[in-house]
Amino acid sequence: MACDSPRVVITGCGVVSALGMTRGELFQRLLAGQSAVRAMPEWELRGATGELLAAPVELPRERLLSLDRKLRRSMAPVAVFAALAAGEAIAESGLAPEELSSGEAGCAIGSTLGSPGAIYETMTLFSQNGLESLPAQQFFKSVSHTAAFNVANVYGMQGVLLAPCSACASGLQAIGVAYDEIRLGRQKVMLAGGADEATPAVAGTFEQLFALAHPRAGQPPETTIRPFDARRCGLACGEGAGIFVLEEREHALHRGAPVLAEIRGYATNASGRQASQSDTEAIERCLRSGLHEAALQPADIHYINAHATGTRQGDAAEAAALRNVFGSQVPVSSLKAQLGHTMGASGAIEMAVVLEMARQGVLLPTANLAAPDEDCAGLDHLRKPRRTSLRYFVKDCFALGGVNAVLVGEVPLPTEA
Amino acid sequence: MTREEIIRQVNAAFVDQFEIAAGQLTEEKKLFDDLGLDSLDIVDLLVALHKTFGIALRNNEEVRKVRTLGEVYDFLEKYAREHPEEIRSVK
Repeated sequence: MACDSPRVVITGCGVVSALGMTRGELFQRLLAGQSAVRAMPEWELRGATGELLAAPVELPRERLLSLDRKLRRSMAPVAVFAALAAGEAIAESGLAPEELSSGEAGCAIGSTLGSPGAIYETMTLFSQNGLESLPAQQFFKSVSHTAAFNVANVYGMQGVLLAPCSACASGLQAIGVAYDEIRLGRQKVMLAGGADEATPAVAGTFEQLFALAHPRAGQPPETTIRPFDARRCGLACGEGAGIFVLEEREHALHRGAPVLAEIRGYATNASGRQASQSDTEAIERCLRSGLHEAALQPADIHYINAHATGTRQGDAAEAAALRNVFGSQVPVSSLKAQLGHTMGASGAIEMAVVLEMARQGVLLPTANLAAPDEDCAGLDHLRKPRRTSLRYFVKDCFALGGVNAVLVGEVPLPTEA
Repeated sequence: MTREEIIRQVNAAFVDQFEIAAGQLTEEKKLFDDLGLDSLDIVDLLVALHKTFGIALRNNEEVRKVRTLGEVYDFLEKYAREHPEEIRSVK
């Protein structure tokens, strides 16, 4: 990318999460040590090896009904989450409807595979009743770009429409491609982020790989997910959405928009080796590429928000890559003990929390990290909140399929914002 | 099945599926102009009628001529009279 490429800033951010409908509420509940991980007796999963856990969103009905019925009928939860989070982001950025519909504003929202719930429902309806019981918009609720096109329709956006579907890297990849669209001069504004649904079918995928956590006897669900810990036993699915307004910096400054952060670098790659296991060498390459694009050194980074889901292999592979690149001096934490693994939404939701950490001047810890495992050692693990200023941060995501994504951001000092 | 039973079940489907207040559901109301339905809603109406009454209407030519809510009731009343073995009440 040429040095004179437009700079890209974040001017709005919205979340729908299992711990709150704004990033401020989400941050405060995380800081208070709350966890959304709970038992899911309403889920049925034949062959599961233990009690099922998840971190579901409890969406207030009035928030759902705030979306017009004719728009809502093509929306599964994944799209509802994205649309509501997008509304928060747009409101914060102060973008007017005519700016969103100008053709200079696009939309890039990723999810693991669209709506797994609607896909399952579609196949069930097909197999049981054929077309007679298939709602008109069932297909639109299901498809891989359902969150992206529904958000575009809700807000009248007529620019580019993209929907990366790369499992748990989807949200961060969406932000990355949105950043590229602006840097290439194709768009002035992009709504970008990720959304996802927690369903038994997706949980079953992890269960089949022995990556799904089950509570130990007598242990409360909220203590089960333990990223980087010696006693970690897997992940729990979460859900929600995180959406950002990305904007060409000059465009944002010209209209007096709030600048929450600048995207300094982005990288994505593949291991090219293995579908299910995180690959230290590939993660390391991705981290170094992101730093290179940001023109930053590892020592410049003030905080790393880790992917760490709580699986044995994934956390160890990530820890090794972080250790190789950053050494032991950069604070690291994962939010998945409290939010579960929100999969395609995780990169975006967790980065939204990072922006709030910067605003509050507090780095949040990895909950339930009682004793870092030997294979996760050698990092500055945050085990309790740490008050500090945060300027440069790294957010990483890794996905089934061997996909990696890294974003490097800069939070402007108050005098620069 | 009586006309009153048909009206009750059709209206319940309209309230549930299209979020229209029960008080708005009178016989003279046109589905598109007065109740705000569109062509996609008509597909969903057929799905709702299938779910409610157990009848397959996708290939029914007569149902395509329906324009008002009263005509929906009329259609189903006639259908129940002519095909009593097919139509059922599931609620």
